[in-house]
Amino acid sequence: MIEVRNVTKTYGKKHTTFTALDNVNFTVPDGASVAILGKSGSGKSTLMHVMSGLDRPGVGEVIIDGQDILQLKQKEVDIFRSTKMSFIFQSFFVQANESCYDNVSLPLEIAQTPVRQRRGMIEKTLESVELLDKIKSRARDLSGGQKQRLAVARAIVNSPRVLFADEPTGNLDSATGEKIEDLLFGYNKKSGSTLIIVTHDPDLAKKCDIQIRIKDGTIESIIESQQPVIAHRPVARKIQL
Amino acid sequence: MKMRDTIQRAGRSLRQAKARTLLTSLAIGVGAFTITLSFAAGAGGRAYTDAIVSANTDVNELSVTKAPEQQQEGPQKYTDISSAGAASANPFFPASFLNNNDITRIVAVKNVESVAPNYSPSVKYITRTGQDKYVAPISTFSPSVKLKYVAGGANSNLSTDEIVLTQEYVKALGFASDQAAIGKTVDIVAERLSSFATSPEMETFTYKVKAVSDKSGLALRAQSTLLLSNEAAKNLYDYVSKDTRDYGNFALASVRVNDPDAAETVKTELARMGYEAQTAKDVLGTLNTFINVLQGILLGFGALAVLTSIFGIINTQYISVLERTQQIGLMKALGMRQRDVGRLFRYEAAWVGFLGGVIGSGMAVIAGVIANPFISEALSLGDINLLIFSPIAAAGVIIGLMIVSVAAGMLPARKAAKLDPIEALRTE
Ligand SMILES: Nc1ncnc2c1ncn2[C@@H]1O[C@H](COP(=O)(O)OP(=O)(O)O)[C@@H](O)[C@H]1O
Ligand SMILES: [Mg+2]
Repeated sequence: MIEVRNVTKTYGKKHTTFTALDNVNFTVPDGASVAILGKSGSGKSTLMHVMSGLDRPGVGEVIIDGQDILQLKQKEVDIFRSTKMSFIFQSFFVQANESCYDNVSLPLEIAQTPVRQRRGMIEKTLESVELLDKIKSRARDLSGGQKQRLAVARAIVNSPRVLFADEPTGNLDSATGEKIEDLLFGYNKKSGSTLIIVTHDPDLAKKCDIQIRIKDGTIESIIESQQPVIAHRPVARKIQL
Repeated sequence: MKMRDTIQRAGRSLRQAKARTLLTSLAIGVGAFTITLSFAAGAGGRAYTDAIVSANTDVNELSVTKAPEQQQEGPQKYTDISSAGAASANPFFPASFLNNNDITRIVAVKNVESVAPNYSPSVKYITRTGQDKYVAPISTFSPSVKLKYVAGGANSNLSTDEIVLTQEYVKALGFASDQAAIGKTVDIVAERLSSFATSPEMETFTYKVKAVSDKSGLALRAQSTLLLSNEAAKNLYDYVSKDTRDYGNFALASVRVNDPDAAETVKTELARMGYEAQTAKDVLGTLNTFINVLQGILLGFGALAVLTSIFGIINTQYISVLERTQQIGLMKALGMRQRDVGRLFRYEAAWVGFLGGVIGSGMAVIAGVIANPFISEALSLGDINLLIFSPIAAAGVIIGLMIVSVAAGMLPARKAAKLDPIEALRTE
């Protein structure tokens, strides 16, 4: 369960402060798929960064499994991210010069997975994204859709409990994008992990259990299973699935 | 991240920027090359002087001269010394001579076993029945001086009637071979200097050939002189110089001590008494100082090259960090620790230093192995190598350069470690 409580994130100094997130509150139950929806610049990515401990706002709490990750030391947040979370980005960020194998190996190395176990995990994961035949290919030789599939493989190889995807289909055409969506939802359902997708695509958002709509850093609405449930309130509310 | 994985990733990153890595490494390689050569030359030089000194001197032996009299600044006052001290007019022997009186004083010093004045009698010539006459420089044989013999051998002392010839004399005196000379006799003819020039007094001294010495690359002396026992040399000297003005005066005397450790104390004692003594160590020290200075100069050049390459490493690593901003951001987003990111870049720097060290010292070894025969030939050192490479020195150079590289890569590595992943992953 992820609880976001009273999170406010401001950029800049005294005179030119800009509030990217303004008193944001919501709760995500385990295993849910969540869309963070909103126009460009509304604060979606910032919210995702805060939820994953990448960004540390001065105000608020982000409680994951009963633990406020904003109170953790940097080292502990890093361990948290390397073992329990993973990311997919709009522009893939696969390492072009490295083989698919080495790309997928990175999170295992960071999490210090024993060397003996790695190959099996990498092969299995590459197979699940249909890239096993490219295991030795360099990532630069892949197409856009293949690169994002590689990024998915890299994100799920370590079986994270929470998977963050920032505009995962933003750089892809609809057919290849759909494939990525299937992979993400497939992993979400099969593993029972939480999936959080940042998007401005309403069609993708509709496939999620929960849609959190953001406007100018505040929550406009939280829609559960395609029905509007709760309007934004400054107090935390739990959302039952 | 485990060290093994970090090292592998670091190596892979470098392989992906081959040209840049190689060029940076080569800059360090120049330093490694020079430093490795300077170590090799130093080691070789010291081994060479060591060999020279141990072949020509003895740890139990000091060579003693009379200390030069206190010299005043500016022109020397003229003093009329027409007698024994006349030799002080000789620029090569500014000191006065040792006489029998001195010898007696030196023998009395504690730990001194014996004192042998250095007799170098000037004889007329050496010859053999039916052969030509040859000029014969004569030195005293010392069992501690290691000579290379091509025939016979004289490892213990020579008897009074024995002589050690060089190969050149064997040939000149018409022996069939070096071996054939052993046991044969040769004649040395000396002239009594005090006899009248109009009716010179001559005498023939006959010696048995005990051994034939090779012309060794290590020999400082004795490579062209004939060696007689101390006793025989004294007899010749007595015959030649008796009743002359200089009789009983020696420029040099060899002092034997009963214990090598006593050499230093005897030296101090002799200095107090007004003699200058040189131990085997002193001779070695003088030669080695010279070599150390040369090595130091080479080392300085190497250090300068390394210093220059440091800036190359810093520059390359900074560019690398800038180029890989996104990669660093991603690794940090995936939970890679700051410490590990810094380490990754430091290892890359270490790899560059390792490569440079291996390339540089490897080239130095190759160059040295090729150059050694030519150097030995040019300096006529025989089979001695002037450049001695040791694996320890090479390993030291490589490890040292790795440390230097890591230190140089410290700032860029810090920059990478401190990078904000959100900034790094911003795409718009
Ligand atoms: N480092 C920053 N400094 C100042 N403003 C920032 C910074 N990062 C993001 N912002 C602003 O915060 C707002 C939210 O950004 P972001 O979360 O990236 O939006 P979205 O992902 O919804 O497009 C934007 O208006 C953006 O300009
Ligand atoms: Mg965004």
